[in-house]
Amino acid sequence: MSLTPLNIVLFGIVALFGVGFYGLLITRNLIKFVMVLQILIKGVVLALVFAGKLSGNLGLGQSTAATVIVADTIVAVVGLALAVQVRRRFGTLDVPKISTLRG
Amino acid sequence: MALILIALIIGLPWLGALTVLAAGNKNPKWQHGLAVGFSLASGLMALFLIPFTSSRVALDLWLGPSFGSLSFVPDGLAVSLTIIATVIGSLAVIFSVDYMRGEAQLGRYYFLVLFFIGAMAGLVLSGNLLFTFFFWEITALCSYGLISFYNDDPKAVAGGIKALIITQVGGVGLLVGSLLAYANLGSFQISDLLSKANTMPADVLSIIAFCFLIAASAKSAQFPFHTWLPDAMEAPTPISALIHAATMVNAGIYLLARFFPAFESVPGWMEMVMLAGIVSALITAFMALTATDLKRTLAYSTVSQLGYMVYAIGAGGVLASQFHLLSHAVFKALLFLSAGAVIHSVGTRDMTRMGALGRKLPYVRNVFVIGALALIGLPVFNGFWSKELILEVGLEHSPRWAYGLMLLGAALTAFYTFRMTWLVFYGSSRADLHVHPAGLWMKIALGVLAIGTFTTWLLFGGLSGTLAQSLPTHHLEAESTIHMVEMILLAPATWLALSLIAVSLALFWFVGRGFALKESPIWLRELSESSFGFEPVNTFISRGISGLAEQLRFTQNGQMNWNILGIVGALLFVLAVLLWSGV
Repeated sequence: MSLTPLNIVLFGIVALFGVGFYGLLITRNLIKFVMVLQILIKGVVLALVFAGKLSGNLGLGQSTAATVIVADTIVAVVGLALAVQVRRRFGTLDVPKISTLRG
Repeated sequence: MALILIALIIGLPWLGALTVLAAGNKNPKWQHGLAVGFSLASGLMALFLIPFTSSRVALDLWLGPSFGSLSFVPDGLAVSLTIIATVIGSLAVIFSVDYMRGEAQLGRYYFLVLFFIGAMAGLVLSGNLLFTFFFWEITALCSYGLISFYNDDPKAVAGGIKALIITQVGGVGLLVGSLLAYANLGSFQISDLLSKANTMPADVLSIIAFCFLIAASAKSAQFPFHTWLPDAMEAPTPISALIHAATMVNAGIYLLARFFPAFESVPGWMEMVMLAGIVSALITAFMALTATDLKRTLAYSTVSQLGYMVYAIGAGGVLASQFHLLSHAVFKALLFLSAGAVIHSVGTRDMTRMGALGRKLPYVRNVFVIGALALIGLPVFNGFWSKELILEVGLEHSPRWAYGLMLLGAALTAFYTFRMTWLVFYGSSRADLHVHPAGLWMKIALGVLAIGTFTTWLLFGGLSGTLAQSLPTHHLEAESTIHMVEMILLAPATWLALSLIAVSLALFWFVGRGFALKESPIWLRELSESSFGFEPVNTFISRGISGLAEQLRFTQNGQMNWNILGIVGALLFVLAVLLWSGV
């Protein structure tokens, strides 16, 4: 594959997706969890714009991407706020430990 | 208008289910009242739906290419079954007011009952196979919850799980059949499957037909899946009435009747349906001869009567099967609810400990005897007309040996029904049981059903008219009640059946009474206990699936990384399939 701009974007999408999924697979820390989720979603946003460009419907892709950005900001805010609460209550951010503590 | 009524018929019980939960277990009076109110309202709406019966689609909501359209068709088959589900369901709810008084978890009970009734109405009204499947699964789930209602009793839990797993086997059959139909027709609409069945390749059509037969057999507890229904007797008695008469088991008969025009040309299908019906009707009649548990005896008789309906469909008598379904729903609900009244008052289900209860419970005895006479098939009661109609169809369209076996089944039915009635209400008192009188609500529900047992056969003309007019692909002919009465009374087959029943009753009176309380012969008891050798098969299926589920439990550990791995794995699998199929 040649290094055309479109291909670069495609590589970017795959890379962001890969990093995001890999992070979700291995991380145990709640804050890191929110971070890799953000990376994954950035890949999705890029993919939306890319799909808009490919289908010749750039406006639609961009507006969907903007909507996703707004939504995922809220996800990040709520996720981090929860992480703070979890840390205060359980004294740890380790996900398996939290789920075994209960209550 | 029809659409609003349909929405109310399905929506009211479901809304009622939520409000009963919201009322909370601390207000049992509210819970009883709300449940009765919502179920009665739904039954009333179902009756209002009668004038709107037609083969036209009431709702056609396009949901996209993968689901097709959400549609409801209020045709004769659907409306008659909706009325049975909601009206008899609401009578079971009324009965529950007395039967379940003082139970701790009424919210869960009424929630499941109302959810069940609504789902059953949805199942028969749906015009889309996919939604039929969804409603089908909801009824399976509710029946599981209700059979295992006393969840501190291991037998009840085992019975519920068995019912769930065996009916799931049927659910898988229905799903596979529906997906195959979709793959070949590009549509989930039932009307498409009915009208375009002949355009499908013959082998695909026959796979669909036999998948649906498996689904119907599992749901209606027909051979070889006839073992879950007796085990479902651990449920509270109004639930047994609901499952046996109003909802659950009728779904299988409905499925066969609904798709009869599509499958009747499939080679071997009609014969298999007929065979399943005959075998179920006969072996469960034998099993009922030896049972000593009152509810179990009734459960066997249900499977046996359902066998008659399946046999009728196999012989091409869709109308006769639906007529018997209506009669059976009424008299079996009556029998179950009066058995419930007996069990509630004496606190045991063992018939060998009952006896001479007729004097202490005269009202219950009277209605039970009415139901029993209808089950035997004696004239004037609704069971007589419908059973004779089935035998009539069988005489014309099935081999002689099949007809002979069904006649034998009718004689056996008379024998075990008489034995059951005699053991419970007549003879001598065998144990000192403390008897409570039946409650007022119980009597109301029983009275309505007893009147129904006398009269529902008068509806034959209306039933056949609406079925003939609203099911164009079934090619049914409308007949008037008077014509049906004439035909049955003049047919020699009727008198043959009646004389066999009389012989059977005489046999019981002179010989059987002496044996009724004795141990039955070992070979018969062993055969009954193993359900004629099919208990191990069913137990193997249900144990095997439970065991497999236990083995797979480690995958459900709630760890987020683990779930992500599942998602990634599924994504890769889908990609691989897409690449492999070259899309």
